[in-house]
Amino acid sequence: MPSKHGTLWRVVGVAVLVAFVLGSAGVALAARKTPIRIGEINSYSGLATVYTFPYREGIEMALKEINDAGGVLGRPLEFVFRDDKLRPDEAVKAARELVFQERVDFLAGCISSSVGLALSAWARESRFLYFATHCQSSRLTWDDGHPYIAHTTNNTNQYVRALAKRAATYPYTKWAHISPDYEYGHNLWEEFWDYLKQLKPEVQVLKENWPKLGESDHSSYITALLQSGAEAFFSGLWGSQEIAFVKQAKPFGLFDKLHFFSASVGNPDELDPLGKDAPIGAVTTGFAWYDAGLQTLHPELLDWVKRYMAWSKGKEPKLGATWGYATAYIIAEAIKRAGSTDHAKVIGVLDEGFTMEFPWGTVIMRGCDHQALPPQWTGIVRVNPEGRPVLAEVEETHGKDIVRSCEEVKRLRLAAQKK
Amino acid sequence: MAFLQQLFPWITNGPLILVQVMSGLSVGMFLFLVSAGMSLIFGVTRIVNLAHGAFYMVAAYLMSSLVSLFPGHPLWFWVALLVSSLAVAALGGLIEVTLLRRIYRREHLLQLVLTFGLILIIGTLVLMVWGPENRTVPRPTALAGSLDIFGQPFPTYYLLVLILGPLIALALGLVFYRTRWGMLVRAATVDRDMLGALGVDVSRLFTQVFILGSWLAGLGGALAAPVVAVALGMDAEVLINAFVVVVIGGLGSFAGSLISALLVGQLQSFGILIFPAISIVLLFALMAVVLIVRPWGLLGRPEE
Repeated sequence: MPSKHGTLWRVVGVAVLVAFVLGSAGVALAARKTPIRIGEINSYSGLATVYTFPYREGIEMALKEINDAGGVLGRPLEFVFRDDKLRPDEAVKAARELVFQERVDFLAGCISSSVGLALSAWARESRFLYFATHCQSSRLTWDDGHPYIAHTTNNTNQYVRALAKRAATYPYTKWAHISPDYEYGHNLWEEFWDYLKQLKPEVQVLKENWPKLGESDHSSYITALLQSGAEAFFSGLWGSQEIAFVKQAKPFGLFDKLHFFSASVGNPDELDPLGKDAPIGAVTTGFAWYDAGLQTLHPELLDWVKRYMAWSKGKEPKLGATWGYATAYIIAEAIKRAGSTDHAKVIGVLDEGFTMEFPWGTVIMRGCDHQALPPQWTGIVRVNPEGRPVLAEVEETHGKDIVRSCEEVKRLRLAAQKK
Repeated sequence: MAFLQQLFPWITNGPLILVQVMSGLSVGMFLFLVSAGMSLIFGVTRIVNLAHGAFYMVAAYLMSSLVSLFPGHPLWFWVALLVSSLAVAALGGLIEVTLLRRIYRREHLLQLVLTFGLILIIGTLVLMVWGPENRTVPRPTALAGSLDIFGQPFPTYYLLVLILGPLIALALGLVFYRTRWGMLVRAATVDRDMLGALGVDVSRLFTQVFILGSWLAGLGGALAAPVVAVALGMDAEVLINAFVVVVIGGLGSFAGSLISALLVGQLQSFGILIFPAISIVLLFALMAVVLIVRPWGLLGRPEE
């Protein structure tokens, strides 16, 4: 009878299925121990993907290396990724889900500083250790710092000071700037100006420009800069907004009249799309792995680049890729040194601080503020023989030599508490 | 005068003021193209099309792909401009026929949800097709340089926009005020039910208007592509600006969006010189003032 046959087959089918699932689970359990899991919250859709995709590739490459070498404390390291849609509330929601349902051991991630600060506040309340990564506000570990946060990439203070240090070697005293009108833009300009004034007290600012974040038409700001009488100007713009600014400024002759100093135009995300519109002669920061001088300074760099390109199917590494890669290794190192995933023990390791060697140089995890101090690079935009804009005349300054001291950080924290 | 000059050292600098006026005009012209389409669509269909910025973005991305097919060819840029704006017009038509047509009679909230959903869908599709990298479109060789205006360089590409903008405004004006179709469109903004009762195929008219409005968004995006970065998120930026312009000018008023776009352009241009620290507030302050004094916008009509 067909119906009986049907029932029988169903029973057999289910039994086979159950056996298969049980069997494979048993095999899996036998083969690998429970992984150490990091809940990683970042913006994996929309406009930030230009930074977060290479960053994630860096993380995954490091995880492969770490796990092939036996993992951490004999357990595999695993990242669980969540999309924050660039919104602090989404990020905190994801944090709760990761901690209470996924039972991750630690939290990591951020590209937007407002997301980073929101996750940091949540981590402090919940006493759950959080590794801020790609976002860069100095407030994370300084003004708003606390034991439950660590920051695995450089903060604005370090790369802006590296740029200001180089700017101070030029004879300019009359300055102007253009920076996006939000927390990060103000932070960049203030850090730049503060350090430039320390190094060169005679500088004065003649014109400030505060376009809104994401403004697409800068022509009026460009003409305002042109008539400001300044000899040089600083730009805190970044990404697509700075590309638009540079494209619009070039036919106005802005870069012939004022020397251009930019925190981010040296990144390939901006230089490559700009192509022949790139601002030749601009002084900026960036990860110039192709620079011969940098490769001599760091003999293992080129080998790492080759491995990364094989991993990412031919894509050249960006700064974000090094940050993702370093983040996975820094978290692994902190757990290894603590000998456990116990938060108090890992925080103890972070409080002591440690130093790690990466293919691009030494990264110090400073104890007093849990802040990473990596090497900083500045360079000048030039065109290479293939006609591609690149960073040349690269100079390295280590973060530890320019960053605010632990004493200063203590004062910043006290001032923030009084507020 | 001496006091003024101390406060604003640029005030006696004639060429600078001229260049500032011109750059304000070009800002205004870009805004006009996008907001005219948005205002037109609202005037006739009563739909606030939040996906208007997404259409603008798609045109810019299409432009970036098309222009790179034959780089440096003198005529190809213009072909690409036409093709990408027309493709977006077709996309708009398709969306109107398959989706929007079903919700004209529904409540506004539902329409907002639908067009907002379109933003997310189009944004994700763009990310899938073109990837996350920023892209740029080179200016056509003939318009890559700058022109000397009393000693101040001014980019030639903006001159093109300064010429093209008024031409399109004029052409649209002629269509709206001198043709039968334009008359029907204007009639539809006043009373679409009456128009239907008079035997006009309103649903076809809606589709046509939507296509025209989308084409304007596409043209705005394609024309802007060489002076901005083609990147994810450019849709939100343009949508907010266009929305402010439409609200100031009066929802549904064609002349209103022209005047308002030009006003906003100048406000931005001189706001930067006079109040650099708060220049981004000025735009919204103007909108607030207009909303208080004339809630229906400069040239809009109060709802009954």
